[in-house]
Amino acid sequence: MRVLVVEDEAQLSEQLAGALTRAGYAVDCVADGETAEFMGQTEGYDAVVLDLGLPKMDGLAVLRRWREAGIRVPVLVLTARGSWHEKVQGIDGGADDYMAKPFQMEEVLARLRALIRRSGGQASPELRSGAVALDPRSSSVTLDGVPVKLTGHEFRVLSYLMHHCGRVVSQGELTEHIYSQDSERDSNTVEVFIGRLRRKLGAEFIETVRGLGYRIGEAP
Amino acid sequence: MKWMESLRARVILGVLLGAAGLTGMLHLVMLTQVPRRPMVLHLGHGLEVIVAAGLLVAGLLGLRSGLSPFTRLRARLAAVHTGEARRLDGAYPTEVQPLVNDLNALLDRRDEMVSRAMAKAGDLAHGLKTPLAVLNHEAERAEAAGQVELAAAIRQQVEKMRRQMDYHLAHARAAASGADGGASCSVASSAEGLARTLLRLHAGRGLAIDVEVAPAHSVRCSREDLDEMLGNLLDNACKWAKSRVTLGSAASNSGIWITVEDDGPGLDSALMEQVLQRGVRADQAAPGSGFGLAIVRDLAELHGGSIHLSPGPAGGLRASLVLPAA
Repeated sequence: MRVLVVEDEAQLSEQLAGALTRAGYAVDCVADGETAEFMGQTEGYDAVVLDLGLPKMDGLAVLRRWREAGIRVPVLVLTARGSWHEKVQGIDGGADDYMAKPFQMEEVLARLRALIRRSGGQASPELRSGAVALDPRSSSVTLDGVPVKLTGHEFRVLSYLMHHCGRVVSQGELTEHIYSQDSERDSNTVEVFIGRLRRKLGAEFIETVRGLGYRIGEAP
Repeated sequence: MKWMESLRARVILGVLLGAAGLTGMLHLVMLTQVPRRPMVLHLGHGLEVIVAAGLLVAGLLGLRSGLSPFTRLRARLAAVHTGEARRLDGAYPTEVQPLVNDLNALLDRRDEMVSRAMAKAGDLAHGLKTPLAVLNHEAERAEAAGQVELAAAIRQQVEKMRRQMDYHLAHARAAASGADGGASCSVASSAEGLARTLLRLHAGRGLAIDVEVAPAHSVRCSREDLDEMLGNLLDNACKWAKSRVTLGSAASNSGIWITVEDDGPGLDSALMEQVLQRGVRADQAAPGSGFGLAIVRDLAELHGGSIHLSPGPAGGLRASLVLPAA
């Protein structure tokens, strides 16, 4: 899962990125509205944390342009504008959730998890497929109830596939959602991660759909 | 008649008419008072009395109407004072109009200064909230490093500061919108926007928010302030509700009654009083004791309204917000 953090205050941006990375997300940070709009339009994110008072372009304008361009990524607005009138404007402007600063990091993580889960049509907080269970709350994976140790990249590949259970996900799509902007990308390494996941979770767990990509779970 | 718009013309005309009437009256008095030629009053004199009295009355009326713009001006100023009007409307005599224009310019400037001060207050609060968010996260780090007491102390102070800012910002906004008189807001439009928003914010809990508000019901306050009051009430109801929140409105002599009910566990009557206790400022209320409700009470009172809590029919809490009708 890959998240875009749009926040112009450097220290807060670092804190958010740190907490999100520890929670198992690939994170990109941008500090102004124009860059945010561009990144949102060109990169595939699973969620966005969006500040509103931004240099160059206001966060609400960024959000409106994304929605006009048909970008449906779940957006959590995280802003100092805390009045109810402003909250209504944010939600009517296309936000999926709205939190006022100051906030508790745990709550941001919980709300982001819920947004990603809902956008994937999942009802329960824990994702389960066969004997494998993934809990985004603790970034933990179990096989038949026994904890399995995964690296950050392995976890992101598994998490993305399980959030899109039953759908074939291409290698390109996986690559886009497990790496942040500034990390070296190599679609061949996706094969490596899939191989390692199969060793840890069972060879049959991830199916290769020839020429199309990978799938966890039965096709709907 | 262009010249009638002039205050000077009206006063001069009034004085001339009055003087002519007075002269006529004096003439008659002289006639009757001269001893050498005792006069017998005949029809002509009666006519003179009528004409002179008519002139006198017309003169007085002319003077009165000449000065009436000042009475109107006072009434308009009073309307600005109570917030019914924002500027001094209407046409005034040419001598008075410049004064009215100056007063309007002064009022515009006051509005401009209020909104600039408001923007500054907002900037100040917004500027502080991001550092507070950073501080909050530092507390989490301190906690992770085993400094639990330090973390708790930071969090508590951050929360206090947040309340101070929210409280004073809401007050400043309400005071500023009071200066911008004549505000009116439809209860239905505010309620519908908030219901949409709260359903999103409480998504995943399966709540239903029923809005049963008459489209004709409007209250005398700005949209921002009504949103703040209703938002706090609805958010509180959503927090406690099991499955349903109902928002209704009714008109009465005391104003528009807006009720928010939930089907939650309700509130102990002693706590109800405590939450809305007079003299307890919202920013000093103890944590968890309905900070939002206290803000609503303060805002409602600023707008000449009130708030009441009672047990709801579904077993939960019913909050009634009463505001002057627009």
